[in-house]
Amino acid sequence: MSRMKLVVAAMFALAGCATQQAAPPPTPTPAPAPPAKAPVAALNVPVDYYKLPNGLRVVLSEDHSVPVATVAVYYNIGFRLEPKDRTGFAHLFEHLMFQGSANLAKGQFFKIVQGLGGQLNGSTRFDFTNYYEAFPSNALQTMLWVEADRMRSLAITQENLVNQQGVVKEEVKVNVLNQPYGGFPWLQLPQYANENWYNAHNFYGDLQHIDAATLDEARAFFNTYYVPGNAVLVVAGDFDAAQTKGWITQNFATIPSRPVPPIPDISEPQQTKEKHASMTDALAPRPALAIGYHVPPRWTPEHFAFGLIDEILLQGDASRLHRDLVQKRGYTDDISGGINLLGNMFNYSGPMLWSASLVHDPSTTDAQIMAAFDENIERIRTEPVTQEELDRARRTIRSQLYDLVGSSTRLGLVDLLACFALFDDDPARINRIEAEFAKVTPELVQRTAREYLRPENRTVLTVEAGKQEGAAQ
Amino acid sequence: MNAALKRLLVGCVATAFMAATAAAQQTPPQPGPPRPFQLPTPTTITLDNGVQATFLDFGVVPKVSIAIAVRSGALNEGGKTWLSDLTSELMQEGTAGRTAEQIAQAAALMGGQLGIGAGADETSLSLDVLSEYSADAVGLLAEILTQPKLPASELPRIKQNYLRNLSVALTQPQSIAGAAFAEALYPGHPYGKSFPTAAQLQSYTIDDIKNYYDSNFGARRTHVYVAGKFDHALVEKAIRDHLGQWREGPEPLKMPPAASVPRTVKLIDRPGAPQSTLRVGLRVIDPTQPDFMSLSVANTLLGGVLTSRITMNLREAKGWAYSPGSGLGTNYHQASWAESADVKAAATGPALTEIFKEIDLLRAQPPTEQELTSIKNYRNGIFVMSNSTRGGLLGQLAFMSLQELPADWLTTFVERLYAVTPEQITQATHQYLDPTKMSVVVVGDMKSVRKQIQAVQPLHGALPK
Repeated sequence: MSRMKLVVAAMFALAGCATQQAAPPPTPTPAPAPPAKAPVAALNVPVDYYKLPNGLRVVLSEDHSVPVATVAVYYNIGFRLEPKDRTGFAHLFEHLMFQGSANLAKGQFFKIVQGLGGQLNGSTRFDFTNYYEAFPSNALQTMLWVEADRMRSLAITQENLVNQQGVVKEEVKVNVLNQPYGGFPWLQLPQYANENWYNAHNFYGDLQHIDAATLDEARAFFNTYYVPGNAVLVVAGDFDAAQTKGWITQNFATIPSRPVPPIPDISEPQQTKEKHASMTDALAPRPALAIGYHVPPRWTPEHFAFGLIDEILLQGDASRLHRDLVQKRGYTDDISGGINLLGNMFNYSGPMLWSASLVHDPSTTDAQIMAAFDENIERIRTEPVTQEELDRARRTIRSQLYDLVGSSTRLGLVDLLACFALFDDDPARINRIEAEFAKVTPELVQRTAREYLRPENRTVLTVEAGKQEGAAQ
Repeated sequence: MNAALKRLLVGCVATAFMAATAAAQQTPPQPGPPRPFQLPTPTTITLDNGVQATFLDFGVVPKVSIAIAVRSGALNEGGKTWLSDLTSELMQEGTAGRTAEQIAQAAALMGGQLGIGAGADETSLSLDVLSEYSADAVGLLAEILTQPKLPASELPRIKQNYLRNLSVALTQPQSIAGAAFAEALYPGHPYGKSFPTAAQLQSYTIDDIKNYYDSNFGARRTHVYVAGKFDHALVEKAIRDHLGQWREGPEPLKMPPAASVPRTVKLIDRPGAPQSTLRVGLRVIDPTQPDFMSLSVANTLLGGVLTSRITMNLREAKGWAYSPGSGLGTNYHQASWAESADVKAAATGPALTEIFKEIDLLRAQPPTEQELTSIKNYRNGIFVMSNSTRGGLLGQLAFMSLQELPADWLTTFVERLYAVTPEQITQATHQYLDPTKMSVVVVGDMKSVRKQIQAVQPLHGALPK
């Protein structure tokens, strides 16, 4: 039910947008920068983590500032992990999780949640499928019940399967097939940049594969992947811990334990030479270009350094690529991207790309864009970043971390807690993010850039404009 | 929330539940009593030159959101569509004291990023920063607002960006449909003009921009909003220091669109499109009218939420669309209602028929208490959620101010929401959502869908040749 692509905005995007000049800029008299103030307290999110006997991991994070709460269940089955020859199945199945259970007929799930003032959604990402409800906190017990109910007793009929196959096909059309730059670069770039099928297939699904899905396959998928030991439950916000734990035991601990499915081998071979790919978009009026690099393994010093490289190069109006390609050269009005286009630098587990993309005019050639881009890349590989740039990047990250806690739906907060529990068995590491970024030195930034921002480690995807100028309405 | 309202909520919730669980083997537990939700109380000051400032102490995290709304936008362009957008773009390109780069870096050093954009009635500047930079953020925004350099040197680049964005927008079915629909509702008025032509955009000069800025920006059109954790005295002082001496400028422009227009049906060909992009709707009463709450709840029930009638029909029953939905769009003392959907091409005519059928049903027959209560609870939940963030609260305050709504509009919202009756829903739908008065836009493959549209009964006689 989610838009695979658009939910990103709601999530915590450590991957942002920023810029700075590549070539020495014409520097006017510098206006005073805001003085560094005494830093406020570091992020300290309460984290209560435990496991039920059936393997379900549970994370509680209490905060009574507003009378709202959020329940989220994350299953360790993402679109890249789906079985071969059934592209799009993980996402199609996400839709089926809303279609009824032994206790609730089709439509009742929506009615119960929304009828209590709740918002709900689900989304499918690289390594997880998630479901959440954000609601006035008096409805917590009911929300736990409905999530446990579908984990225990999902009931899908042929009619509902056919209905959601229709809905998913319309989703693919509205987001990809009937849209200029649809799927660019988030859906297409990984297909060119990766070698392993799990990382390189069409995650949204070929329409024929979506049509071919059967009820038996859906049941088998549920029985395999939607087991308590393959999931995390997060409750955040305004609740009483003792009472909530009682409800969790009552609703979730009685779900039978089942074997946890193995994760397939999703490793990528080391890339040894630069790749180029080109595609024509029949609906697009202007050419576009995307560049993707494989990033360092998650939660390593290099990974945090890369997070800061992303801030310094790409996130926001103050970033180097924005200053140079947008502001100075006028090649485009926006260059955007980050680590993990469908989330952030923490909510995945496995190989990942950092990418940047832009739409440009035909009068600006791919060669010009790549030359300018490479100037910036070479600069960060050969010159240490300034302390001021590093501090600014860290301050932006701190500011975003506070927003995790200050949000009323807390979707960003529960997302990180769930992923750190699901992939690392350690949700409390949310409180160590700032400290890990703080350890990064200019030398580490340069070393990481030198190692990972090599041409042999990247894929360049160009989009040819297939739509004649003026042919539109 | 007062005690009476709390009781009301408990009662409502219980009613909603009976339906939900009637056919179930096991039933979900009842919710507990609602926890009190306290709206923070805003305070507003007016400076001698007319600048208004509203403060809202809110939240627990050390951050603050600052927004400045100026009553100048598309309405004030004098026929030069997108001139207000170009101006807001150029305002970021430097001030008397800072370059564009320094502006961006100053904002980033505070932990934020400058946002600036022009809408139909207003231009807004915003910055969301760490609390320790509250006063600096006010200073930066005020400098951009009152001392923009508007450099001619950057205009060609920005125009080129806008030309590119225009060409992209004109290939997106949703943008095409939205523009055609706006023009159908507000012909000849800036609210109805979404896009300039490329030639028109090319013709704008730096003098056009400077004239637009000089004749529209000033203290009497300006309102500052501050929400979050901040030192009130410091922030107020910054506002007085940086905006207190600014020129008064004109009062807001009043230029209402013509009172009523006949409906239009527009069929726009998109050869080979696998879906048809639909807009169906009309102009309705504005947010100051007493019936607006009833109409707004009627909208939620019809198409404003996943469990709404049109959405459940097109999506969950038919499987023809992914995210159909309806909404009320507002401008200054203006509103319109529209259902938007991207539907399977083969179901274009049938989808239009179903949309009209659902509207007619609600016009004829009041919803049950149970259905209505469920919708009210949903709206109450959204209200609590959206007023639990700095950004959400700022948005509400700015909306109230633009629409000149009474000061208790927010605090009486929930009470007014729960007072709406099933009869009022049907009365409002009957009065304001008449399918035979609705304009319709279809962007799709006309070769295959035109025949289907001709068969839609409420459109008879209205199709273009």
